Formats: sequence, structure tokens, C-alpha cells
Amino acid sequence: MKLVAAAKVRRAQEAVVNARPFSETLVEVLYSINEQLQTEDVDVPLTNVRPVKKVALVVVTGDRGLCGGFNNFILKKAEARIKELKTLGLDYVVISVGKKGNSYFLRRPEIPVDKFIDGSNLPTAKEAQAIADDVFSLFVSEEVDKVELLYTKFVSLVKSDPVIHTLLPLSPKGEICDINGVCVDAAEDEFFRLTTKEGKLTVERDTIRAETADFSPILQFEQDPVQILDALLPLYLNSQILRICLGFTIDGAKPRLLERFWRLLLVLRH
Amino acid sequence: MILNLFVLTPSRIVWDSEVKEIILSITSGQIGALPNHAPIVIAVDIGILRMHLNDQWLTMALMDSFARIGKNEIIILVNDAEKNSDIDPQEAHQSLEIAEAALRKVEGKRKTIKANLAFPQSRTRVETINVI
Repeated sequence: MKLVAAAKVRRAQEAVVNARPFSETLVEVLYSINEQLQTEDVDVPLTNVRPVKKVALVVVTGDRGLCGGFNNFILKKAEARIKELKTLGLDYVVISVGKKGNSYFLRRPEIPVDKFIDGSNLPTAKEAQAIADDVFSLFVSEEVDKVELLYTKFVSLVKSDPVIHTLLPLSPKGEICDINGVCVDAAEDEFFRLTTKEGKLTVERDTIRAETADFSPILQFEQDPVQILDALLPLYLNSQILRICLGFTIDGAKPRLLERFWRLLLVLRH
Repeated sequence: MILNLFVLTPSRIVWDSEVKEIILSITSGQIGALPNHAPIVIAVDIGILRMHLNDQWLTMALMDSFARIGKNEIIILVNDAEKNSDIDPQEAHQSLEIAEAALRKVEGKRKTIKANLAFPQSRTRVETINVI
């Protein structure tokens, strides 16, 4: 049983590793463009900062109820954020991802939901694409002025924090910022390894920074740098969403792993 | 001199091989790349990627993407790509008809944006299988 959950985590890890060549190349070109565009004003639809009247909140939940309080934390945080937005006089709409969130919001018709997206055991690029497409059209058509993503951030094997990140507007540098304005560089990537230490399952967390100094400075652009940025950012949006959903899968597997671990301990004690 | 071609999606490597030449569709037309091409970054349109290898030309449908040509290495980053052999002709034609109908009837800014994306995507898939 523990092996099943561990296998899930391993598959998610593999997916994260498989996604790396994509995001590394993306970041390299993003940096190169920003070097060239330093003094210019970047006017690309996805980076458009405008006065916020309506916010889209993407709420990512898990599929199984076994995760216990896990999904409830996210949904509570979603309700809190909705309340905050209402107090600020802002309109909002929810995009729900995952069975638990979907059934929660279906039971509450007073909360406007733009789309229900089914989660799955291992998020694929197609699912990230569905989220990205919806969010892209909402933002570019100016139906919403900001898109926030609510998910759990992996902290350790026993701790996860529900986090709200601003997904759109993107910063031209590709930074990801949370709603308190704390930003993470595009070149930084966090990854975790599931290992065992003294027979116990642990997860080690590392941050790696892509080598920005080595980027080739002689990169020429076939088209205007702004046009390239325009083509690049939707790809960046997709990969960010996928990365976050995969991190989420690892989180979802965690409580089940723990559950089995405790059960095993109990069995051994007797 | 050989060119290494990689086509990457966010979740996997779709194509990884040596090729003799490639042709991409970009907004201002088409662009071909032979070995020893100058390093360059190109925004690529939704369209067909043609690859020349072993005396054959293979085609692939690329959704929004961009290409980075380095030292005899071409990396194409795309959200989704399909080899012509992987596309089901009937399904592709059906999707095209649906997308065409949607584009004709569409109203509202947001639906227009969606339809404007869906149509070239399905058209590209049909064109990919029709190319000889």
C-alpha cells in the first residue's frame, strides 16, 4: 500500500524532471529577451497590468477524500479569499480543478464558477492546457483583470501550506509572485527527493538555480523581441500551471503515505 | 554536418533525432534551417513542422511554439505537438468542422479569442495529414 503511494510520488517526480528541459530552455530565452528589452516598455497581453475589477480564482484540490483535512484547508482558504475580495469591492469567479473542489462548489450555487475541470492521478500537459486556455481567454478578453492560483505548497512530509499565487498578469521576467508581493525568480526551481533515512520515509528539498550567467549573449531574434515574448509567455503559463499541479500531486500522496506508515507502526507494535 | 532536433512539451520530449533540414511556419511565411544555421530565436506560428531525414520528409502539427536554433541544435518548445502518423484523419476533420462552425457563429470577445485559437489548431492537424 505504501508502495502504491510512493510509486505515485516517484511518477510525479519523474514528470517534474521530464518537464525540466522545457522550462530551462524557456527561462534561458526569457532572460535573454529581458536583457535586450531592459529600457523598453513591454506591452504584451499576458503582462498587462490594469486596475483590478474582477479576479479569477483557480482552486486546485485533490481527487480522493482520504486526504483528510488536506482539501478542507484549501477550500477554507478559498472561502477566506472570496470574502476578502468581496470586502475590497471586487468581483470574482472560480475555476475549480479536482473532484473534491468540484463537488464542493456544485453544492454552493451562490459562488460563480466559470469552469469545472476534472483532476486526475497524474496531471498531464493536457489538463494544464485546459486550465491555461480558460485562464488565458478570461484574462486577454479582459473579463477578469487578475488570475490567482490557490494550491498547497509542499513544505515537508508533514507540513503543507495553502498558498495563493498571482498567475496573471505575468511579469515579463517570468517571476512568480504571491499576493503579498513576495516574488520568486523564474530561474529558481525547487524539487524534492523521496528517500529513506534510517528506515523512515523522508523528503529532501533542494533549490536549484539555473545557470543564468552561461546564457549565450549572442542570441539573435528573427522577429521583434516583443513578438517573441508574446509567443513565449503562453508556454510559460502552461509550464507553471503544470509544475504547480505536479507539486500538488506529491502533496496529495503524502497524507496517504503517512497514514499507512502509522498503520504499519501500530501493526508492528502489536 | 548533422542537425539535432528536439521537440519538447511541458511534460515530455516529443521528438529527439538527427535531421538534415527542417521547415517551420512563422508569421511572415516559412523558414528553413540547414546545418550551421546562425544561432537564432524564432516565434513559430500554429502550423506544420517539416523534417527531412533519411530521404523522407516527415510532418508534425505544432501548436503555439517557438524555436531556438543553437550550434547545430534546434529546440522547439511547444504546448502540444502531434506526428502526422498519430493523427486520426476522421477525428481531425470532425474537429475542423466544429471549429469552423464555431468561428462563424461566435459572439463575444472571449469566445472569439477561443475560436480564433481552436480553428488554426484543427486546420493544422488536418493539413499535417494531407501533406505528402
